Amino acid sequence: MVTPDLMSEEDITKLIMPDNLPDEQTFKAYVEAKIYDKEGHVIDYRRQPMRSLTQYFLAFLSIALLGTYSGSSSTTAQSLLTNVLGMPSKQSSNGSADIGYSWSIQLGSGTQSFSPTLNSLAAPIANGSGAGQLTYGQTIVSYSGLTINVSVTVTNYSPTTINVTEIGLIGSIILEYDSSSNTYASATFTYLFSYDTFSPAVTLPPGAIATFQIVLTFSG
Amino acid sequence: MTMIIGEGAEDINIRMPKDIYDNSNHESTFNVYLTVVVRDNKGRVIRTHRQRSHSPTANFRTAILPEQWYRETGTSASWTNTSGTTNTIISIPDGSHSLISYPNSNTNYQTYLVGIMVGSGQQSNPESAYKLAAPIANGTGAGQLIYQPPTLPSQIMINGNSAYFYIEQTYVNQSGGTVTITEVGIVVEVYITKYTGASTATYNQGNILMWYDVLSSPISVPNGGSVTIYFTFMVNP
Repeated sequence: MVTPDLMSEEDITKLIMPDNLPDEQTFKAYVEAKIYDKEGHVIDYRRQPMRSLTQYFLAFLSIALLGTYSGSSSTTAQSLLTNVLGMPSKQSSNGSADIGYSWSIQLGSGTQSFSPTLNSLAAPIANGSGAGQLTYGQTIVSYSGLTINVSVTVTNYSPTTINVTEIGLIGSIILEYDSSSNTYASATFTYLFSYDTFSPAVTLPPGAIATFQIVLTFSG
Repeated sequence: MTMIIGEGAEDINIRMPKDIYDNSNHESTFNVYLTVVVRDNKGRVIRTHRQRSHSPTANFRTAILPEQWYRETGTSASWTNTSGTTNTIISIPDGSHSLISYPNSNTNYQTYLVGIMVGSGQQSNPESAYKLAAPIANGTGAGQLIYQPPTLPSQIMINGNSAYFYIEQTYVNQSGGTVTITEVGIVVEVYITKYTGASTATYNQGNILMWYDVLSSPISVPNGGSVTIYFTFMVNP
């Protein structure tokens, strides 16, 4: 595209956030659920596109794209970490400080309107065997190429049927630092990375086992 | 949405065919856009270019892997810096682990955005790219551009359900001739600390190419002119 005349700064701003472009998508993601009854038979299977990433996921990606510092000689964090994720500009430490990540899947039984600033499920289903609770297994993460799979298996040990209507990818950033003479402490910052709903609800009768999976594919 | 109920779906390892993924109705949740604005020696905009950017590298994947992956696999991930040196990120189960440096009050090793690198070559597999094919050097010599510092975002902008931020960097051409850009990449300098028992050590991983794109058409920057490149990262566009 050639623009022979001056273009205003306002027009350039519009270019930075263009409309749909006829090109390959950067990213595809879907949510999958397989439900088995207590005999191990598949009783339901869902696969649907993920629709709703939050600003916290975007800010998390900024760690890989912008680093953690605001510049080559800076001693403060880049702004998205402080302004969006609420992390300290400078961690008090007797030595260095460093970060790692942890991901998990949270299920819920409520519904709510999506917003990119959403920070929790409407009605998270707690881990346990009491009424309305599910027993969560370990979150499993694997990758192949630029596809990252996150999955969790839950079991309904409660005596009642549980309806799952919402699912979220939860991300934590673990900040480790030296609290005193090589004694390491950590602070954990937890965020909702994505929010999706199931309609109709995914139903888990007593004894049912279900695997929920979130698949993130960068196009590469 | 797909639902399968009944005995025909009892295979625990069932995998749906790829074409069941309905791209036509898919609302993409994350997109990246590349915008280029070229100005002449009087500062007038003489060309703009927009394209979808879609090329994180394998280094980028390594940079976002959570600890669960290391714990479950018991293996290491790796990345390769722009010098071609491959470093491994060690696993957690043996009690050792690697973490990315974070600003603190004592000892700082800056992990920071080096910038949007520009080049005059191209390569066909962005995932495996670890450097630009033909980087354009910073300077005033023939074929060179003067790199201005990158501008980092201070906030994420919200617009309805969409949220985005962008990075921008400007390059000035005082080479005496036209300079043509065909490839761009986001490069981050990374330091990691390895924890092994009570001991720690910090290592410079070098310049890591996190994102790489070949421009869908070459961008020529006239002598005395400049070019500004914007990477916009957006969710729920």
